[in-house]
Amino acid sequence: MRIAIPKGRLQDPALGVFAGAGYDVPDEADLKTRRLVFDRGGIEWILVKDCDVPVYVEHGAADAGIAGLDQILEHECTAYQPVEFAFGRCRMMLIAAPGAPPLTKVATKYPRITRQFLESRGIRAEIVPLGGSVELAAVLKLTSHVVDLVETGETVRVHKLELQDVIAEISPRLIVGKGFYRTEPKLVRELIGRIEEAVNVAR
Amino acid sequence: MAAAKSRYPTGVHPLLVEETARRRRVEARFVDTFAGAGFAEVVLPIIDYVEPYSSLVDSASAKQSYRFVDREGDLVAIRADFTPMLARALAPAMSAGDLPLRLFYRGDVIRVEASRLGANRELFQIGAEIIGDDSIDADVAMLRLAADLVRAPGKEPAVVYNDASIAASLIAQSGAVREALAAKRMSSNVPAALATIVAKLISGEATVDDVAPFASEAAARLRAIGDALGTDPVFTLHLDDVDENAGYYTGLRFRVYADGAKVAQGGRYDTLYERFGQRAAAIGFTFTIDDLD
Repeated sequence: MRIAIPKGRLQDPALGVFAGAGYDVPDEADLKTRRLVFDRGGIEWILVKDCDVPVYVEHGAADAGIAGLDQILEHECTAYQPVEFAFGRCRMMLIAAPGAPPLTKVATKYPRITRQFLESRGIRAEIVPLGGSVELAAVLKLTSHVVDLVETGETVRVHKLELQDVIAEISPRLIVGKGFYRTEPKLVRELIGRIEEAVNVAR
Repeated sequence: MAAAKSRYPTGVHPLLVEETARRRRVEARFVDTFAGAGFAEVVLPIIDYVEPYSSLVDSASAKQSYRFVDREGDLVAIRADFTPMLARALAPAMSAGDLPLRLFYRGDVIRVEASRLGANRELFQIGAEIIGDDSIDADVAMLRLAADLVRAPGKEPAVVYNDASIAASLIAQSGAVREALAAKRMSSNVPAALATIVAKLISGEATVDDVAPFASEAAARLRAIGDALGTDPVFTLHLDDVDENAGYYTGLRFRVYADGAKVAQGGRYDTLYERFGQRAAAIGFTFTIDDLD
């Protein structure tokens, strides 16, 4: 079994979930090396950028993983999502510069989610895809609006921007690839069972 | 940017001598097996109008096809799925006396895959269908034929099957069921009357007896199919493997894996032909050949 762990903000809680479920996960010393693949306890753990977890799982390069709903939606990932986690929750929001004109141009790291949101509201607007620090686009008037994840709202406050609309409630999930789900039911049931138990204990 | 002489559009490439020989060997094996099982070949066009399929194709699969306006100003699509094209071609031409028909087809389809950010892919497919036979024997024959086609080159098949009408009947009672089944995670929005069965489907504990009160015909057919297949370990009933979006499938639904990779999928679509003017039950499967030696 190959499991994809997202680097970045979800890495520690994701490893914590598997450790709590009794899996032998890569430890501090492992993670300090530059390696990205770790064989432990009969499982191959791979460390990938958070936005790539749904891609690996969708195409069967990893059997399961932990990914935020933001990345699942952005990649239109069809993997199953059998467990939702309480950690790392946040919101996908529409954010505006103060006194912004009606939405005509919006910057985001999530062009697909943004396009779907705009279509659902019947708004025609130009999407400017950015790689990060998207709030800056509104501050520097590159765009009137941005779509981004909001966890505490601190970034938005610091830049004196306004929260306008909630697009989606975002939570991390255990995702399981469809091929793996269909062909390895025993492994899948054990994995889901152990993770669910660990989550319930943590509650 | 000028197209470099050595470049091709995304997702397509020529097969040179060795690859073509390999492709033709695989094809020949399929054609022999189909001919031996009484299937005759048909050829379908590479492009067709979009309009005849508009009632049938949901927006998700419409997005999968490569469309353009032809010189007369009509919207046309490059072939992305053989099955509806066969129904459109056949329904007006066939009479009850012709049925059942056993047909196969082969050729390329072009899919625009959303998960690959707009990349097109040309895929070579070979498929077979039995039209005008709603029997369990036809279901079993097609499951066995699909497994045999994997076995022929010495691979180990795994055929996972289910009935699309089970999820459809539950979803018809509550939209929340679709969400729960799509994610494989129980939701508090599922109405109490369905909570037990949906939870059992998600946890993998559901049996045919459990689903019988919600989809009695599907349960009876699955029992009969299971009996006919016997204890062959190649075939696995996955009641939890529910298609939240069944497309045109109305009954038996199956996927075929070879050494862990999906190589074929298919099922029963008993209402497809009537949309093109002639009622006929039908069942079929399609292999995508690129990955099968």
